[in-house]
Amino acid sequence: MRGAGIALIVALIAALASLPLVLPAFGLTFWVNVVAEILIWSLLAASVNLLFGYVGLLSFGQALYFGFGMYGTAIGISLLGLGLWPALGLGIAAATAMAAVAGAFAVRLTWHYFAIITVVFSLIFYFLAMSAKWLTGGDDGLSFSAPPILAAAGLMLTDRTTQYYFILLICLACYALLALVVASPLGLRFAAVRENEKRAQLIGINVYATRWIAFVLAGFIAGVGGALLALFGRYASASYMFYHVSGEAVVWAIVGGAGTLLGPLVGTALLIVFREVVSGLWENYLMAVGAITILVVIFAPKGIVGSLNALAWRGEAEEKEHLENPGVPVTARAEAE
Amino acid sequence: MDIVIALTINGLIWGLIVALIALGLSIIFGLLDIINVAHGDFFMVGTVLGLVITGATGFWIALVLVPLLGFCLGLVIERLVIRPAISSASLTIVITFGLSMILQEAVRATLGPQPRRMAAPVEGTIHLFGIDYDVYRLFAALFAALAIAGFFLFLSRTTLGTWIRAVRHDRETATALGIPVTLVCAFTFGLGTALALLGGVIAAPITTVDFRAGIDILPVCFMAVVIGGLGNLKGTVAAAMLLAVMEGVVSAFADPTMARISSLVVMSVVLLARPHGLFAGATR
Repeated sequence: MRGAGIALIVALIAALASLPLVLPAFGLTFWVNVVAEILIWSLLAASVNLLFGYVGLLSFGQALYFGFGMYGTAIGISLLGLGLWPALGLGIAAATAMAAVAGAFAVRLTWHYFAIITVVFSLIFYFLAMSAKWLTGGDDGLSFSAPPILAAAGLMLTDRTTQYYFILLICLACYALLALVVASPLGLRFAAVRENEKRAQLIGINVYATRWIAFVLAGFIAGVGGALLALFGRYASASYMFYHVSGEAVVWAIVGGAGTLLGPLVGTALLIVFREVVSGLWENYLMAVGAITILVVIFAPKGIVGSLNALAWRGEAEEKEHLENPGVPVTARAEAE
Repeated sequence: MDIVIALTINGLIWGLIVALIALGLSIIFGLLDIINVAHGDFFMVGTVLGLVITGATGFWIALVLVPLLGFCLGLVIERLVIRPAISSASLTIVITFGLSMILQEAVRATLGPQPRRMAAPVEGTIHLFGIDYDVYRLFAALFAALAIAGFFLFLSRTTLGTWIRAVRHDRETATALGIPVTLVCAFTFGLGTALALLGGVIAAPITTVDFRAGIDILPVCFMAVVIGGLGNLKGTVAAAMLLAVMEGVVSAFADPTMARISSLVVMSVVLLARPHGLFAGATR
């Protein structure tokens, strides 16, 4: 299982890395940018997933930190005249700092109250951003032209392939960070807090601090996503901070599979590809997205990746048992159960 | 001074309508433990049905018919999507988000993306405290107040209302006493939906009929429910009135966005300091 998992991840990375070479050969150059966009948005879904899937807190306000990452970068470039990397850093720092402050309050609450307070925080800053037009451009947003990635080497975001690899590398780094955290002792503390808050407290885990760390980390990941989207679109707008954007990220994370590392990526990919393919043919495709969301929650609450994992585990368990009791065929035992 | 009086009255009237809608949200939350993100869209569907049915027959028929349709809509939604997912409680918010997408897009597909206006069924203005005032707004306030009063009478005076209160109080004991809890839950969801649609048809002539209307009103209703205390029905009504008057008056002196931000800040302070609401302990 572990070997298969690693092989799958290597194959996925290889596939993602070869896309800008493969897609144009089939005349699908446009899809390189779609995949880049999927990678960026999947970070927002991953941020929701870190909180909901691993710590058990459902946030409906992750767009706030996404927006901070976006505006930090856009303002850094257009108003402060920073280079690409300092602006990227500014955006991510702004998002993380905001998450650190908001999280200190928000993680005092759990359950529905947590969902509500995260929405309220994001709404406050959404309205602030809408009214502070001199800084944010409000609804019209801020447009800018992106500075070079590495001036000496002539690396520019205007080159589609360079831009794609720039985004891919940063996203891979984020997923690697998430994988490390989840597998670390801190990740185990996350799981303990998610499964049983009281028991976690009794064995000496600081529940509040654990939740806060997760919240800040989630803000960081969302901030990276926002900063990347600002660079990708050379644009930032307050509308990206609205709670509907957060809600979409929740949908992506849950459809893909909350509590799995790749779930958010799968969910985001599926629904964005669906949008790209269907929205041209059917203007009201969101009806189908809503229906898919409801069907997944009712029939496969673990999401796509979670359900596949469960299937794989069951298959493996049966196989193992079969090896231990070779006399009994798998199907017969299944019937007996 | 006149403008302040006008804005206060406007705030009071809008507050009554918001209270009506927020009551629906509050009772659904209190009984089924669901954060209904689609509640604003229920209101929006109410304005749309109000427009359509008024166009086909007349406003007074719409006023009766729309809440009934809302009740049926609520029953269908509860049976099809809420009940199967009730076991995974934290995910019901995601279900209602999906529902919200479906309702908005369904209205956009049928009515089109353009906001519309609906003519008031009662024309004319009235001279009130030195200002000319739309008569229909007073009617709207009256309908909303009557509906709220009726709702509380229903809860306190009828068997079904008593059952709803019993299930809210202690679900297990209610089950043990033979109260059909599942039915009561379905009925409550229908009732909450009906209140939102009723609010919609009452508000339709004084606001715009637009598939996005629910997005604007949802945060306001949530503020009322949270500041009043989650599940505290009388607190919800009081908070809705308070907020609407406050936002109305503040917007006379400052940017309306600032009024909205200030009530959101009040809401977060209440959530953090008094999660059971401002009026906790008064009446539960």
